[in-house]
Amino acid sequence: MKQTEMLAMILAGGRGSRLHDLTNKVAKPAVSYGGKYRIVDFPLSNCANSGIDVVGVLTQYESVLLNSYVAKGGLWGLDTKDSGVFVLTPREKADTGLEVFRGTADAITQNIDFIDSYDPEYLLVLSGDHIYKMNYDKMLACHKEKDAAATIAAMPVPMEEASRFGIMITDENDNIIDFEEKPAHPRSTLASMGIYIFSWPRLRELLVKDMDDPDSEHDFGKNIIPTLLSSGDKLVAFKFEGYWKDVGTIDSLWEANMDLLDENCELNLDDPTWKIYTEDPTGVLGLPAYIGPDADIERAYITQGCRIDGKIKNSVIFTGATVGDGAQIIDSVLMPGVTVGDGAVVTRALVANDINIAAGAIVGSADSKEILLVAQDV
Amino acid sequence: MAKAFGIVTSSPEHKVEGMQDFRPIGAFSFLGRFRVIDFPISNFSNSGIDNIQVYITKAPRSLIAHIGTGRHYNINSKRGKIQLIVPSETLVNQVYNTNINAFFSNIDYIQRQTKEYVVIAPSCMVFTQNYDELLQDHVKSGADITLLYHKVFDAKEGYSTCNALTLDGEKVTAITPNLGDEDTKDMFMESFVMKKDLLLDLMQAARETSSMYTLANIVNAKCGELKVRGVEHHGFFAPITSLETYFKANQTLIDIDESASLFTSDWPIYTRTSDSCPTQFYDDAVVKNSLVSNGCEIHGTIEDSVIGRGVTIGKGAVIRNCVVNSSTVIGDNVVLQNQIVDKYAKIIHENKILAEPGKPGYIKRRDIL
Repeated sequence: MKQTEMLAMILAGGRGSRLHDLTNKVAKPAVSYGGKYRIVDFPLSNCANSGIDVVGVLTQYESVLLNSYVAKGGLWGLDTKDSGVFVLTPREKADTGLEVFRGTADAITQNIDFIDSYDPEYLLVLSGDHIYKMNYDKMLACHKEKDAAATIAAMPVPMEEASRFGIMITDENDNIIDFEEKPAHPRSTLASMGIYIFSWPRLRELLVKDMDDPDSEHDFGKNIIPTLLSSGDKLVAFKFEGYWKDVGTIDSLWEANMDLLDENCELNLDDPTWKIYTEDPTGVLGLPAYIGPDADIERAYITQGCRIDGKIKNSVIFTGATVGDGAQIIDSVLMPGVTVGDGAVVTRALVANDINIAAGAIVGSADSKEILLVAQDV
Repeated sequence: MAKAFGIVTSSPEHKVEGMQDFRPIGAFSFLGRFRVIDFPISNFSNSGIDNIQVYITKAPRSLIAHIGTGRHYNINSKRGKIQLIVPSETLVNQVYNTNINAFFSNIDYIQRQTKEYVVIAPSCMVFTQNYDELLQDHVKSGADITLLYHKVFDAKEGYSTCNALTLDGEKVTAITPNLGDEDTKDMFMESFVMKKDLLLDLMQAARETSSMYTLANIVNAKCGELKVRGVEHHGFFAPITSLETYFKANQTLIDIDESASLFTSDWPIYTRTSDSCPTQFYDDAVVKNSLVSNGCEIHGTIEDSVIGRGVTIGKGAVIRNCVVNSSTVIGDNVVLQNQIVDKYAKIIHENKILAEPGKPGYIKRRDIL
């Protein structure tokens, strides 16, 4: 088999339980975002745009929809002779039987045979539920230049949020001298973005040791990175500037959608040199957005397949959503296939896929502290 | 899988002023994000016809780029294929630019087909049709040739380069040019079903009669001796044979009930995706009764218009009753009425371009006004 210089593995097994009913039946990476995308389109498009040919997607929680979605590698152009997107789920093995992934590192360990079949020099480990654009090829160049065992993408976060992340302490050359996973009292604000490049032979060695360690949680942040540090391996921080969001909660998912209404949003999905690819709908959903004669649109992000007859103010409207006559959508996110009946008013809400809101219903309120998740018909 | 292969013809007899200088009618943008040729190819694909020849007689670049391998039309790349057939010789005179001559210069591609039947469809007409049903009916009827037609009540307006059928019950007795003499006509949809061998015989017969003969001409000549059957088409039908009919077809489909009948989930119209992001409507946007494709940035006013992908509309601009194709820029305070704006045009200096609804204006590709 042709050797692949760097293989990407996307960790997409998490449930994202703080997204409540939104992830009851779909894994977080498959959650819709930005009108026409799913979150996992971001790491997959980044891989395609960075020239990475082979991507493994590690799935576990409610993975039927996610598996069938990412298997269509052609959506991201990853279906040439030497490229592909491979869905890797926990499987029964001859020596150990059936085991779920015990942690982020274990998910990789259980697929060492897959990775070995490409004989890569480097392994890129990504999270399937972050929204950002990044050129991993530049990160690899940094990894090679510094001759590191591991390179971790990092960005500064506000001090009050630092305890949610893996926090790094670096020297003036960006070498990582200490790493703490979700520290109660952070000593720095430089956070790990959960994007790692490892030199594969070294990581492979550590994973094999970690596999049988009864005290390990088999996690990159908690186990593998600290082991590399204590063994004296060279770890480097690759500083990222730009838009990056881990949408863990309904409020942050709503906010990440609202960011797109800002003309100067750093994410810029309209960049022809770094497009985000996704599934293209057909049938009536493939039509351009229809804006009716009595519609009133004021600051909105609207995608194809929508039918708008009411008022939209400061909102993001996803594929195939319909808004009836006299209805008002204010400061809200309507996910794919949502129907809002005539005269209904939706304020500060995130309405889940295919939900129907009856004519005249009043949903959400302008002075609510939190964003209302609407996951049942109203 | 259907027992036929498909041919999409290039219909050189239709002339659309302006737009056609840059690409064949099949490659025209349609309804914001489609191309006219998406209709015949999707009709074939949805009918289980996955062996398709597309004849291109002039300016092939945009069609080749759009159709490519054809996988976005849901054609299995191992079992089926789309062949793009471009002319291998230069014609000394456009009168020889007929579908018969195009078939002849690629006769081995037709002879080599293993399917018993052929379905021929035009690249310049917008409609949906299940060709597998039409083929099965054709076989059952015992006819030699089945032709598809659409009853129109406005034959005096438009359709000037189209042919009409003369029918005696189901039997076609003549195919003649529409001279605009009557309002009601059975307009020929340039769609044929027949055996492959009959097509080869007709090609030979046409050549022996006149080098200017088209397939419709020779079928007309043979109406007496062959059993030629007409089948009426129901649903949306729009021939794109002039600037006016192109404009009208786009305008008609702004009506969401009309377009929902043409774009159904059980008969998808496929197209090549451009991976555009959704459209941004700013605080000052006013949009009424319009279709707006993805990737646009909208500040001004849009009424009764079709807006293609990646269009920028400036502050205070007013677009009324227009078809604005992709990647165009309409500057601040520009007023456009009844215009067709071709791709990549930039209207930034001129601030008022108006025309009458029956005679839309045309702004050329890449023009800067």
